[in-house]
Amino acid sequence: MAEYDLSKTIIPYLDRHLAFPLLAHLVETSLFPVEQVQAAQYELAKGTNMLDYAVSLFEQLHPDEEIPEEFSGKREKAVSTNERLQLEAQAVLDVIENPDVAQALRQDKNQNLQYLKDNYNLTLEQITALYNFGQFQYTYGNYSGAADYLYHFRVLSTDNDLNTSAHWGKLASDILTGKWETALEELNTLRDVVDSRSPSTLLTASAEPAALTQLHSRTWLVHWSLFVYFNHPQGRTLLLETFLSPTYLNTIQTSSPWILRYIATAAILSRKSAAGGSAASSRVRHSIREIVKVIQTEEYQYQDPVTSFLKELYVEFDFEAAQRELTLADRVVGDDFFLGEFREEFLDNARYLISEAYCRIHQRIDIGDLSERLNLSRDEGEKWIVNLIRETRMGAEAKIDLEKNVIEIHRSPLPIYQSVIEKTRGLAFRTQALGTGMLHSPQQPQQSQPQPAVVEGAP
Amino acid sequence: MSRFFRQAGDSDSDTEESDEELLTSGDEDAAAPKAAAKPAMSRFLRTAGSDSSSSDSESSDEDESEMSDEEPTQKKKSRFMRGDSDEDSEDEDVKRVVKSTKDKRLEEIEATGKVMDNGLKINDWVAISNEFDKLLRLVQRQSNAAEPLPPFFVKTLLSLEDSLNAALMKEKEAKKKMNATNARALNSMKQKVRKTAKEFEKEVQQYQNDPEAFEREFTAHAQPADVVAPKPKKPKKSADSESDGEPVLDDRFTTVGKGGKAMSFSADNIFKTLKLVHEARGKKNTDRGEQIRILEKLLEVAVTSYQRIRILLALVSSRFDYNSSITSYMPTDLWLSAQHEVDELISIVVADSSYAVQEDTEDYDELVERHPATESDGVVRIRGSIISFVDRLDDEFTKSLQNIDPHGTEYVDRLKDEKVLYRTISRSQAFYEQTSQPEPLARVIMRRLEHIYSKPDAVVSALESSLASSEITPSVTLASSATTSSLIHSLCVHLYKADNSLLRTRAMLSHIYHHALHNDFYTARDMLLMSHLQESIHSADVATQILYNRTVVQLGLCAFRCGLIKEAQATLQDIFTTQRVKELLAQGVHQQRFQQQLTPEQEKAERSRQLPFHMHINTELLEAAFLVSSMLVEVPLLASIESEEQKRKAISKPFRRLLDFADRQVFTGPPESTRDHIMQASKALQDGEWEKCRDLIQSIKIWSLMPEVVSVKEMLAKRIQEQGLRTYLFTYAPYYSTLSLSLLSRTFSLPLRSVTSMISKMIWNEELSASLDQSTGVVVFHRIEHSRPQQLAQVIADKVSALLEQNEKVLDIKLGGSGGWGDRTGDKGEKRGEQTQERRGRGDRTRGSLRGGPRGRGSRFAQGLGNQMTRVR
Repeated sequence: MAEYDLSKTIIPYLDRHLAFPLLAHLVETSLFPVEQVQAAQYELAKGTNMLDYAVSLFEQLHPDEEIPEEFSGKREKAVSTNERLQLEAQAVLDVIENPDVAQALRQDKNQNLQYLKDNYNLTLEQITALYNFGQFQYTYGNYSGAADYLYHFRVLSTDNDLNTSAHWGKLASDILTGKWETALEELNTLRDVVDSRSPSTLLTASAEPAALTQLHSRTWLVHWSLFVYFNHPQGRTLLLETFLSPTYLNTIQTSSPWILRYIATAAILSRKSAAGGSAASSRVRHSIREIVKVIQTEEYQYQDPVTSFLKELYVEFDFEAAQRELTLADRVVGDDFFLGEFREEFLDNARYLISEAYCRIHQRIDIGDLSERLNLSRDEGEKWIVNLIRETRMGAEAKIDLEKNVIEIHRSPLPIYQSVIEKTRGLAFRTQALGTGMLHSPQQPQQSQPQPAVVEGAP
Repeated sequence: MSRFFRQAGDSDSDTEESDEELLTSGDEDAAAPKAAAKPAMSRFLRTAGSDSSSSDSESSDEDESEMSDEEPTQKKKSRFMRGDSDEDSEDEDVKRVVKSTKDKRLEEIEATGKVMDNGLKINDWVAISNEFDKLLRLVQRQSNAAEPLPPFFVKTLLSLEDSLNAALMKEKEAKKKMNATNARALNSMKQKVRKTAKEFEKEVQQYQNDPEAFEREFTAHAQPADVVAPKPKKPKKSADSESDGEPVLDDRFTTVGKGGKAMSFSADNIFKTLKLVHEARGKKNTDRGEQIRILEKLLEVAVTSYQRIRILLALVSSRFDYNSSITSYMPTDLWLSAQHEVDELISIVVADSSYAVQEDTEDYDELVERHPATESDGVVRIRGSIISFVDRLDDEFTKSLQNIDPHGTEYVDRLKDEKVLYRTISRSQAFYEQTSQPEPLARVIMRRLEHIYSKPDAVVSALESSLASSEITPSVTLASSATTSSLIHSLCVHLYKADNSLLRTRAMLSHIYHHALHNDFYTARDMLLMSHLQESIHSADVATQILYNRTVVQLGLCAFRCGLIKEAQATLQDIFTTQRVKELLAQGVHQQRFQQQLTPEQEKAERSRQLPFHMHINTELLEAAFLVSSMLVEVPLLASIESEEQKRKAISKPFRRLLDFADRQVFTGPPESTRDHIMQASKALQDGEWEKCRDLIQSIKIWSLMPEVVSVKEMLAKRIQEQGLRTYLFTYAPYYSTLSLSLLSRTFSLPLRSVTSMISKMIWNEELSASLDQSTGVVVFHRIEHSRPQQLAQVIADKVSALLEQNEKVLDIKLGGSGGWGDRTGDKGEKRGEQTQERRGRGDRTRGSLRGGPRGRGSRFAQGLGNQMTRVR
């Protein structure tokens, strides 16, 4: 199953620290030799200030060898830096934590700065100390502390670049401390920042074109948000909302097609809300249809058992192949870091999807056959089907005939009056809108019409 | 002042003679230009003097310009002879030649005189006039050769004058004795004679004073003239200088250039000669062939690199100058030598980095030899442009291919030259890489790319193989990058970084074309969509638009080869709806239609844009691909829709038109053309006879031109089976209540599983109202018959919503812009959905994407381009 593992693909888009959980998960799944994963962990930890962790990893890896000299030196240096930065930051923190100050602070950042400068002699450089200390704390693994400092810094600072950077840092800290609610908030604000498309606020404001930077930021955001979306209770729906929005779908299609696996899984998982809930937006409701289209177009770039399951089911209508893919997909989902917990749910929903499609196409279905399609025993299958009929709206149409061991489905065609009503439904409203549009819209400059692709002018 | 003139004029013959001696004495090198200059000047002055005394300037001007027109031919002839003599430098030869010409001339003069006498006798003034002109010419030549005026001429002139006067008197007395032409000739003769008499006033006077002495002088002169080597040609100055109105200085140099003799092909005088050639360049009377020869000779004697570079620069330019007409192409041999010289030039500059050829340099003295040592920064900068030579070479090559008949062997022979051209281009690329000049480098890389992007691998490697023998190679070669794709990729990457957006666009299109050619449909399509070119291509120049069209078409063919029928159909649709395929691909000129006539200029411009034959995309193959994919898309669609109204909205107009036309025909014979095949195949498909359809399609001959014929045919057969099944189901569903799956599978030779899958798909998409019965293995159709009122209700509902849509559309147009009020209406979500779908459904709706309206697609592709760049980096 190692060929379907995405850790290696995803890690380049993650922060060093965010990669640790992924690697830890790999150790558990034993897809790869443990030593290799540990070596990777060690390499990863070496670059951070989490020196104790790195040392312990080293010991695990080379039980017989001496611990390299450099660690002790690094450790001392880290400790001293920590103290120095803490001192600097403390000064600011003292001021801020003063209740008077907290009350005096307003929305306007510039005004706040002025206020702090006038009354407490606090300059922007000093505030930046908060950022530095927060970042340093992050490097040695004190995520909650880092989150605090970065939060304070962001409230005060006016520096856009550093603010964005603090945003990312805070998000990472929240993810690593497992505060999904705050992480979600952070994610949403960060998304706004990224989408606001002013190049200076983006993470790497460089000579590169703004669009490219934005694409990078979005790609990163997409990967980081996986942590949030697959841990937050509402995450899957939100994931569909976000990832199926045109901008992010485009990002995924252009730069990271493997995310399709997560969209596909989320779409399958949210089947229930799709079937029943009216609360979910149309995007979520039609998520499966949408994702199937995308999977089809991106097939040449990316496919794995999860996506091919959907493809076999909804494009080829090859139920045997779909079932085969489902078996594979089940294991893939189980092994995936993000999806592991949803294995059962995934399987359940996938079966529903199969049986739903099967029932819609067939008129008379052999129960044994269907059970086989669903990887279930005969009795289980029967129970399953009864549940299915009860839960879905097929109730009126499907009946089980135990004598012949078949399900009979009689779908009455859509009555004509209903289709007429459907067609004429919006007409009055649209006409009204037409009228208001005519009255209110001032003359706007003529916009050019779409032109045909072939150049007429080139004789 | 006039005194001076006169003096100079008087001493004329003496100085000339001494000059001649000087020249022949062999001291050619130093003295020649000086010597040549001096008499020329005096001659000019003299004639100017004589002219100033002439009263009737207008008519004489005319005549003189006539004479000057005659000059070049004479001169050329004589110069050739002298050219020979120069080389041989054998006096005997020279003498003989001169003698014969001279004698001939005298004889001619006398003969002319006789004819004139005859004319006088019968009073035929037309003949006399002609003869007189001839005589003047001869005399002119005589004086060009610096020989004294033959007495015979003076005699004739005098007698003519007399008889003219007599004739005029007679004419006055006897009215209507002459016809009109004769009278006119007489009048013009009168003027001519008077003018000539004035011109030769001095000689005439001399003659009149003492005819004997004059004659003696002539014969005396003739004697030494025999011995003396040919005089440098001194054309009669008056004609040239007066008609051209050139400044004195210029004139002098021109004269020398024409004289040829004055040119000295030695290392010392190279720069002077070069300058002369330079100044003569572009003038009306300059003989381009001669210039080239001079330069070639100069090149032989050139010693230093500096000299060689200078001469090569001039030589290549004059080779390109050789052909002044825009329409005709450069002769192949000239082209080849130009190519060779450009190569040489590059070699010199590459070998010695202390010489640089630049378009902008500081002013320098052209007549002075320069060395790297004497320059301030150790580099000799010479004005010139190698890149423009390379460009020109390439253009001339293309032009010649455009003009040569592509079906002859000449064309093939000419094509072989592409190899050397490609080598030159690559060498210059290497040169620019070495000297790191980004702007010309980008241009030259583009040239290189244009030679290989549309070629199959074998041809590219043949072209590339020529690079191995070169002493310098560009950084990217086929050898270094293993496959043509990576070669083209790295060339394109370089161009993507260039500042020039035109080059970027063209590189992008060539890259896409190459991908399409190599059946890499998805990459090509993504690149095309991400480049946003379809939005801006309308403002591009025509050549780029043509390239765009070619690329799109190639993409369509690629989709067809890959079996992506829908995409192929959608991509090719646009170009076929215009019905001007050949024109849009620059493979044929505009067909004259009655409403629009092209001006000759437009037509010429269009012709010059045509692609050489070997670059053509076969339009018949293209049409076959388009029609077949249309058939596969269209026929099931036609079968699935019932009402006439819907039928009108069908997708492919060109295909529908053909199909309707085929339907109307009463008799259909066996298929001949590709179209016939496809039309009959479509009919067979409509009738469910997929085997017949397949046979017809596969028997189309043009497929053989497509790479991977066999697999394409197999693919088509499979598609025909599938679409046949769909058509069959659509057509015959109303007449069955159940159909056995196994029967269907047998009829269409498809595996049961794919039959089931296809029917399932149709059911799921609600194209077919039916369901499967698993236990009995049949498909059950649910046919619902609507009552009349029900049908009518449906129709009216449709019509009402259509009306509303129309209104909305009208308002949209009126309010200008699609994003306006429409978003506020109830179907907001739906509309948005459509847009996103369109964007997402790139695969099956390429047409929509290719058509690319300005709205909606922004962010993705803006990013996409960025992403492209990352990939590329």
